[in-house]
Amino acid sequence: MKNLVLTFLLALLVVLTAVSVRRMVAGNASSTAQSPTLVAIGTSPVPTMPPPKPGKPAK
Amino acid sequence: MDSRIVSYGLQYAGYLIEASLLFYLARSRERKGLATPAFYLSSLLAAEAARAWVLHAYGKASERYFYVYWSTDFLLVISAFILVCLFFRRACLQEEKIWRFARLLLVFVFVIVLGISGLIFSHNYSGPVLNFYYFVFEFNQNLYFACLVLNTLLYLLLQQIESTDDQLGLLVCGVGIQFAGPAATLALVHLTSAGRFALSLNSYAIPLCTLGMLLVWAYAIVRVRDKETRVARHKIPAFAEVTAD
Repeated sequence: MKNLVLTFLLALLVVLTAVSVRRMVAGNASSTAQSPTLVAIGTSPVPTMPPPKPGKPAK
Repeated sequence: MDSRIVSYGLQYAGYLIEASLLFYLARSRERKGLATPAFYLSSLLAAEAARAWVLHAYGKASERYFYVYWSTDFLLVISAFILVCLFFRRACLQEEKIWRFARLLLVFVFVIVLGISGLIFSHNYSGPVLNFYYFVFEFNQNLYFACLVLNTLLYLLLQQIESTDDQLGLLVCGVGIQFAGPAATLALVHLTSAGRFALSLNSYAIPLCTLGMLLVWAYAIVRVRDKETRVARHKIPAFAEVTAD
């Protein structure tokens, strides 16, 4: 049980580090959804077209 | 220099290396430990083929290319996560206790990334089916950075257990180049307040880093295996002599 909790806490730390690094280097990519704030895999050119506008923001 | 020529050069160099490595792996007799790179290279080549076809048919500025690019990127990030998991398994082959811990950690990381992405998505957006695409986008980016952190942890683990698997070390370094390079370039864009040089570097960062990974992998698969085979060949007669005595 103790191991389970420790593993969960380490996993949480890993994910929070990942999200923090992402916010630091790329800003809020989901709200702007511009290509320069996103990372991807592959040698194909990154598309330049911005995605369609998102729906209504939550109240 | 025309930026389109550079872009096409990087693109086709990537396809060439991916296809050559897969061909080499398919023809090689000893496949021990190389199924994992083969799996990732196959998914990379399949995704690149789909992108190339849509790019050729509809153009870079088309909406279809945009959707195909980011949909295939989603599959690639999932493949990259599986790749990191399989590298953890390979690193812990002799360390069953560590593997039990790492296995649970990887499952938790995936579930938490899924949960956090859903939380961020529900906080920012609400409404129709179209927004599901934004959830995929959010999940994609979070899993990418989680893979970056996990790969760094794996590298530290390899140093900690003093792994003698040189090939695995190089494969992990290759994955590190692929994940850390674009992230570092984005940080440069952020630091220079979207400076011109940083932006132009950023446009080539993703293909360049993937190409870097492929070159490191090519070295790891071809050269390191040769060395290991040579060492093994030298060892066999010595062992035979000892047993004969």
